[in-house]
Amino acid sequence: MRTIRAVMMVSGVGLAAFGVAMLVGNGWSENVAIVWWLGGGVVLHDAILAPATIILGLVVMPLLPQWARVPVTVGTVVLGSVTLLAVPVLGRFGSRPGAPTLLDRNYVGGWFVFAGIVVVAVVFAAVRRRVSLGTSSVPRINHNASADGASADVHATP
Amino acid sequence: MRLLAAPRPEDFRSRLRGPEVTARIGLWLGICFGLAFLTGLYSHFSQNTPGWLTLPTRPVALYRVSQGVHVIAGTAAVPLLLVKLWSVYQKLFERPDVGSVRRLGLQLAERGSIAVLVAAAIFELATGLPNAAQWYPWSFSFRATHYAVGWVAIGALLVHIAVRLPLIRDALTGPLDKAGASASRGGSLSRRGLLRTTWLAAGVAVLATAGATVPVLRKISVFGVRSGTGPEGVPINHAASDVGAVAPATHPSYRLKIINGDTVVSLSRDELSAMPQTIAELPIACVEGWSASGTWTGVRLRDLMALVDAPAGADVMVESLQVTSYLKVTHLPHEFVQDQLTLLALGLNGEELSLDHGYPCRLIAPTRPGVLQTKWVGKLEVLT
Repeated sequence: MRTIRAVMMVSGVGLAAFGVAMLVGNGWSENVAIVWWLGGGVVLHDAILAPATIILGLVVMPLLPQWARVPVTVGTVVLGSVTLLAVPVLGRFGSRPGAPTLLDRNYVGGWFVFAGIVVVAVVFAAVRRRVSLGTSSVPRINHNASADGASADVHATP
Repeated sequence: MRLLAAPRPEDFRSRLRGPEVTARIGLWLGICFGLAFLTGLYSHFSQNTPGWLTLPTRPVALYRVSQGVHVIAGTAAVPLLLVKLWSVYQKLFERPDVGSVRRLGLQLAERGSIAVLVAAAIFELATGLPNAAQWYPWSFSFRATHYAVGWVAIGALLVHIAVRLPLIRDALTGPLDKAGASASRGGSLSRRGLLRTTWLAAGVAVLATAGATVPVLRKISVFGVRSGTGPEGVPINHAASDVGAVAPATHPSYRLKIINGDTVVSLSRDELSAMPQTIAELPIACVEGWSASGTWTGVRLRDLMALVDAPAGADVMVESLQVTSYLKVTHLPHEFVQDQLTLLALGLNGEELSLDHGYPCRLIAPTRPGVLQTKWVGKLEVLT
């Protein structure tokens, strides 16, 4: 294990250094733009996307009945992540007059169909859970949700 | 007043956060990045082939599958990376251990390596996906940068796995959920439920986009960059009018020039049509990940090379009639020159090659990146 880890560590540093060396060869003005993009991705995720996700969960989850929380969480992860990766086609930013077969779908219409399927699936799953919870003896009031679920993630001490 | 202070790792109370979830998603994320790196290397060397390297010419769909895997792996990695980063987000708020210089140094080194890894990983996905849709909202060269940062990402990933290996091993071999917690209770997701959600999101991401390269998915890939239709049933990337090829390609005096030193042979399109024709089923596979298969009719390149007595091991420079300089001239390594399926195509799917597909003739070779399948060919020159 020690040897494997040492070999991985050394080769990893070597491969990354090779990549950095290639970047340095790109020249100054290219590298300023690249550093903005490298840092920008981290800042957009760590300072905006991640806190927004957590705050959304903190605000929305307590408003939902228990039987709806899991389906809504699943639906949000699927819809949110796939929408994010579809941004380049949804905006059709790369379309050119000389390339009529590029970006040749109705992407916004496709998104509404996709979102509709997700919403229907979430509603269906939530109703099923409600029916099964209603017939079981599981107490409806949650036990210390903050220690337990995604529903109350960040615990703010008063 | 703690509400206003920065949170601490222990403030994040979800039991979904922890190595059980992180290691399992990380395993698949590592597989996606590994696949993307290897297929990326193959694509890079297909486009910039060094003299010492001889590329395989079979199977004919190798480049198509490889580049399809490259884009599919990167697409699947988006939900995986988002959930993985969520599962470790609390670690961002760990306070440095200022009690010991050695521990502080190790901590800073590890956090630095993680910062490099996260930055490089996000960069690769945030540049690769727009490139697949031919959107370039940056000023740097996409190919050179995406390639270089790919090395940084894979190197930082190896360092990260090396540092975390004992933890990863324990997490992967240990139980996922505590006994009795595998079914979600009340209003919260179990760890297994979160993993299944992540696999579902990654699977949906693939199904919604992969139709651009996997024909059976065309109807359901609502976010595919191409529907797969076009002239003669094959999409086009650059129209003739896009690159100034219309006038020279349709001029009555068009002749294909084949040059080997002082030997020059000129052929009209009718003379090319009169030569023995070969039919080959070959894919056109773009570096951006889309691909389509076509039945091409044309003259074998090696038959044309024989007209000027080209030596067997010689590479060929292929020059287009297009005016714009980007990819006007491409370099065809000897293994492709000699291949019996490498054609100067005159027809596609039973029809005459249309202007936007490269009329009067275009290069089509097995398992080559689409950008190097030169259209509107005006000159073939043997390199010695």
